[in-house]
Amino acid sequence: MKLARTCRLLSLVLLSGCLFDRGTAATPHASCALAGGSPSGGDAMAVIGCGIIDSRYTAEVAVRDSFAYTTTWGFRSAPGNMVAVWNVSGDEPVLVDSVIVSGSSTLGDVAISDDGALLVVATERTNGSLVVFDRSNPRHPRQLSRLATPETFNGVHTAEIGRIAGRLYAVLAVDPLGGAPTPESKIVIVDLGDPVNPREVYVKSVPGSAPFVHDTFLRDGLLFVALWNNGIEIWDLGGGGQGGTPAAPVVLGGVQTIGGDAHNVWWLHDPVSGSRYAFVGEESGPAQLGVSSVGDIHVLDVSDLAHPREVAFYHVPGAGTHNFSVDETNGILYAAYYNAGVRALDVRGDLETCTPAQQETTGNLVRCDLGAMARETGRGLSGGTPAVYVWGVQYVGGIVYASDMLNGLWKLRAVR
Amino acid sequence: MNRRVVRVLGRALIALVLVSDVAAAQDAPPALAIGAHAIGLVTQATHTPEGRTLTEAYLTQPIVSADVRAGWLQAMGMLNFEGLTLRRGELDVGEWGEGYVDRRHPHAYLHELVVGAATSSAPVVASLYAGRGFVPFGSDDPMSRPFVSYPVDHHLAQLLERLVVVGAVRARALLLEAAAFDGDEPLDPSTPQLARRFADSWSVRGTLSHALPALGDAELAASYANVKSPEYREGQGLDQRKAHASLRVDGGGAFAHYVLAELARTTDVDRGRDLYTFDAALAEGAVCRDDAGLALRWERADRPEEERLVDLFRAPRPATDLSILGITQWTTLTVAAALPALRLFSAHAAPFVEAARIRVDRTTAALFDPLRFYGSNLMWRTSVGLRLGVGHDHRREGRYGAAVPTASTPLHAHDESFPAHCFR
Repeated sequence: MKLARTCRLLSLVLLSGCLFDRGTAATPHASCALAGGSPSGGDAMAVIGCGIIDSRYTAEVAVRDSFAYTTTWGFRSAPGNMVAVWNVSGDEPVLVDSVIVSGSSTLGDVAISDDGALLVVATERTNGSLVVFDRSNPRHPRQLSRLATPETFNGVHTAEIGRIAGRLYAVLAVDPLGGAPTPESKIVIVDLGDPVNPREVYVKSVPGSAPFVHDTFLRDGLLFVALWNNGIEIWDLGGGGQGGTPAAPVVLGGVQTIGGDAHNVWWLHDPVSGSRYAFVGEESGPAQLGVSSVGDIHVLDVSDLAHPREVAFYHVPGAGTHNFSVDETNGILYAAYYNAGVRALDVRGDLETCTPAQQETTGNLVRCDLGAMARETGRGLSGGTPAVYVWGVQYVGGIVYASDMLNGLWKLRAVR
Repeated sequence: MNRRVVRVLGRALIALVLVSDVAAAQDAPPALAIGAHAIGLVTQATHTPEGRTLTEAYLTQPIVSADVRAGWLQAMGMLNFEGLTLRRGELDVGEWGEGYVDRRHPHAYLHELVVGAATSSAPVVASLYAGRGFVPFGSDDPMSRPFVSYPVDHHLAQLLERLVVVGAVRARALLLEAAAFDGDEPLDPSTPQLARRFADSWSVRGTLSHALPALGDAELAASYANVKSPEYREGQGLDQRKAHASLRVDGGGAFAHYVLAELARTTDVDRGRDLYTFDAALAEGAVCRDDAGLALRWERADRPEEERLVDLFRAPRPATDLSILGITQWTTLTVAAALPALRLFSAHAAPFVEAARIRVDRTTAALFDPLRFYGSNLMWRTSVGLRLGVGHDHRREGRYGAAVPTASTPLHAHDESFPAHCFR
């Protein structure tokens, strides 16, 4: 009797479960078709053209002269091991070549040296490396070297390059990896003076309290390190006057940004208002890639490098920021905003003086809200159709290139 | 909080040692039980991450186990050799955890080694066990249940292979357990836990036996766990809050039967802030006559989707930020049949077949698209195999001492309830 009751109970549960299969939404494919066929999608930053990549998720973008390079991420219907080479001299980006980087599942970052001679690509995850390409023929980059060491093994998330005392260096942000000889996240500085033989000159693990490092910003011999929960540190690599070098950096100062999750930095050199501000991208959560993101832009006053202060912020409801590019001539910061497209902010002048109505207080800290100060000067790809998830932006000569994980590469008209 | 838990458990241990003099006075002879088991398995799965049907054969769940009792002290251990036989994981589309996706990860070589003692002064029975083993949270280890394939909710509904101290008190039909343990899940089969992380996590479980007389030997259980950084061994990753409730029924007789229905929820937490919630519901049951039986399982469970590595059956550990690629929902219907076993002395070889219909759906339009990744959102998995065993049989895994339902004087920490023979 009890057995029969038990069987009936079980059968009922199983049957009811089978009756409620969910539907699965149709698969969206990459698209350049804007809402209503409008070239601007209703935005101030009109779309000039678009190049589609559908088989892979697009990641970062780097542009110089007539060529753009986009990396790829994760697995869509093919792995993220491809660098796409685009001719962007016309309105529509045209895919002219691609480079497959073997043994990689993600190529999270790409950068071009200041002289345009080199292209560097960061590879993830395990067996991470820095791959250096010769751009003598920008249409067909040629691999010069690949730096893969125990220090890069966990995966190289980003590679920033810059010159210190005339010599080229790359700063690598290395992932944590469970079970690795050094499982923690690290900063690795690489001497690219001889690009055929790149050489590690410095390694530092980030504090466990961070615990990640995703990105850095190198300029004028100063390195801005985004230390996630710990905010930002500023290192002297030769430009801080404290005796730091790439092989022996000196920490000048730091600040805990509100909310943590400090992801990326841009130190502004404005010809009008100087080098007072640094902008920090917060990559928070919850975030389901492709549809949602969270995180503000934080403005730091870094006029005292030893004691940077957070003075302002910019918030987009329902979206979070990612990488930046700044048109410093016109004082406009372009921010990739994942599912919200691209945002342009006027960052010229005083950003920390505002009316009480434009202020927000967090604890003892009073910050100005750039949104309330009407500092937003334009939007791009914010129409919702097609859905976008913008990873990176680069401003070049009146054009903003936006790498979109879902669709490929967009070419937008800058706001000025 | 952690120090308080350790202090309480320490005091309980002292009290238990004193009380155990009573048990020692019983002067019971030393007892040792040893057993070895393994499952030879051939599995075929359609629409795998490699975009095609895969057929694989291996030895799964190869274990050697032992229970020892000497006076009032009891010890039990289990060695699991999946690290040798299942290095790449067991093909099981939908399954996830410990860096494996669509394959079930191999368990640790030292699956369990706990030592403890229990009082025997009924009607209140208390016990304290410590070692590497099961945390009192959720339902029984899938290895001790009728199906060879693990449910998708394994990492939502069980916590195991932790450095744990478990205290339990049973008074009549009510059982309460509490534990302190390390939150970090195993890194691989051979790497031991970080001792410094012991007691950074805790759990409690309450169980009411004979809860529904109409259903026979029914057991209602509810548990909660606070787990620190399970996926970042060094302790800096997301924390988890886990809740679980279950109804378990079993009974013997000519037709032995067993039913388990459970609900589980895990929430990822970043510095006190909720990020993602994963839910699961599962119902399974089996009916046996002697060593032949039929079992059925229905499950619907959420799965976090993460970046895959070059090996598409693997995901990185730890994650490097707070994002995921989406949450998929897996609905699985599994049927298994155990056939009569061949027996020779204490050894047996029991053939079985198992088939599953697996459906996966997106819950949002996030990046991970099952249709695109697998080529279909409907998969099938079929397995045939042979359960091999000799000697002592570990039955119901995951409870110790006073927490073992039939253990008024717990000699072994594993009870003798269903299934007695089939699916073994």
